[in-house]
Amino acid sequence: MSRTSSSALWRSIAFSALASTLLLAGGFGYAVKDMLYPSAEAYTGAPVKSVLPEHKELSRAKEINVTAIGDSLTKGTGDATGDGYVKQLVSLLKEKYPAIPVKLNNNLAVNGIRADQLAQRLSTDKGYRYALRQSNLIVFTIGGNDLFQIANGRAAGEATGDISLETVKKGLNQGIDRLDNVFRLLYEINPNAHIVYTGLYNPFYNITDLRDGSLQVQKWNEEAYSLLHQYPNMMMVPSFDLFERSIGSYLSNDHFHPNHEGYAQIAERIAQSLD
Amino acid sequence: MDRLLPLIQNETLKIWKKKRFYVVVLVLIVLIPVFTYAQLKIAETNRKNFKDWRNQLVQQINEYQNMLSSERIPEEWKRNRRIAVQQLQYYLDHDVNPNSPDGVTFTRSFMANAVNLFYPLLVLAVASDLVSGERSAGTIKMLLTRPVRRWKILFSKLIALTLYVSLTVVVSAILCYLISGAVFGYGGWGMPVFTGFVINGSTVESTYVHAVPQWLYVLMEGGLIWVSSMTVAILALMVSVLVRSTAASIVTMMAAVIAGTILSTMSSSWESAKYVFAVNLQLTDYLAGSPPPIQGMTLSFSLIILAIWSAIGLIVSFGVFTKQDIMN
Repeated sequence: MSRTSSSALWRSIAFSALASTLLLAGGFGYAVKDMLYPSAEAYTGAPVKSVLPEHKELSRAKEINVTAIGDSLTKGTGDATGDGYVKQLVSLLKEKYPAIPVKLNNNLAVNGIRADQLAQRLSTDKGYRYALRQSNLIVFTIGGNDLFQIANGRAAGEATGDISLETVKKGLNQGIDRLDNVFRLLYEINPNAHIVYTGLYNPFYNITDLRDGSLQVQKWNEEAYSLLHQYPNMMMVPSFDLFERSIGSYLSNDHFHPNHEGYAQIAERIAQSLD
Repeated sequence: MDRLLPLIQNETLKIWKKKRFYVVVLVLIVLIPVFTYAQLKIAETNRKNFKDWRNQLVQQINEYQNMLSSERIPEEWKRNRRIAVQQLQYYLDHDVNPNSPDGVTFTRSFMANAVNLFYPLLVLAVASDLVSGERSAGTIKMLLTRPVRRWKILFSKLIALTLYVSLTVVVSAILCYLISGAVFGYGGWGMPVFTGFVINGSTVESTYVHAVPQWLYVLMEGGLIWVSSMTVAILALMVSVLVRSTAASIVTMMAAVIAGTILSTMSSSWESAKYVFAVNLQLTDYLAGSPPPIQGMTLSFSLIILAIWSAIGLIVSFGVFTKQDIMN
């Protein structure tokens, strides 16, 4: 390489490298300044305007957007395939309304959540509200953790020993008040969607000492029905009967959550009840 | 200044002619499309499964929360998840998409992910044989018999190395933007990115959170990456002075950098690991507000540790290089 071309190369490397170094040093200086002496100015983004879906029968809707919220039953805990009733419901709806696109927007169920925690989220969590406002079919389960008062964070099946009829009775009244809140908030967020609540069942039906828990479960379901009955867009699907005689074939190994078959029955019922 | 500039010129051109920088660019040109493709696949799946980014973010938060309720997950993990949930929630609450698919966002996340392993690797490609290479080629005798003081020779090598480190960082960002932009579009410069999350245990304080435009964020990232890469470069220079063969020099430095990466993922219980330089390379994490590898580490702490290591590296390199006998 000749001398001139070599010094031209040097000059272009040196120039671009020096410019890079200065740029990066500037970036570093700004980063240190920004992190050690942060200037906190509140940022307000452009808020979203979400349009509620039209209120009409699902069979006449342009598309069906499903959002699921609630506890482990909606999450699908206990189903080895991971489908739960929500995914099975979506495929059933696809069969039922072949002309309408059916889509699961979000399944926001959280394991172990209680009705008061769900109400808390519904009233404060922007993401929940956004997801719910988009959909015209909302399915949810809640209350199992309130009624059976399982220590927070414990897997339900492991806590069987803690449960007595006394605690179940205590959980009932408190739980119903919380449930009322959930219904009210849901209606407030999306009065146009079809909202389906799946009632509770007694997972301990086959344990002699806890069989009477079914009476509390029935009371819960009755109270729940009378609460949601006042909202024209809500309905309730029962599940208690599935888990009495055939508890062995529908309950999963944790003796609390349904298995794939059990969820399939729940999904079937919801699909049947929709117009 | 006499004689220094020609020396720097000489060293810079030597590195250029050894085609070390070509290797760096080539690696980038091969790897960036691979990551772009992977990112494209993810974006396609998300588009198929989610109506928009809000749904996606809500679902992601929900999944993290479900992980938190599991008993089988170690506490350290849960802490990171809790922090991530709060940050994602902050983005959601302020109507900002943290992962909008565009060229600048891709560049930002590529650089943040590359800081602890990939950039050191690229730097080593240039730095590792600066001195040991001369030794194995035998040219060091010619270099040292010239009437120039030895510290000037090493100093000119250091400056040349600095120039290439700067070029590496800037060129990688530019290539990243150009290549990924072809797929995701060249926008995203002004998109707000949140920084200033203060982490206390497992809660995130948002008092100091503020939005910076993404171009400024990438620039800040670049600056931080440059500092951590320079530390690696200086230490590589030192190793290259100390070790006779280039292969040994590369292996030593690579081992140190990889050890640091492993340490920072598993050493939460071994606190003194935070004094290892390689654990402190992830400076961009402080910017993003991700929890540091070991509790209690801060930006100032990491910068001081890196500065100390660099100072030691320089002292050892110059001390040894000016004194050592050259025999082979």
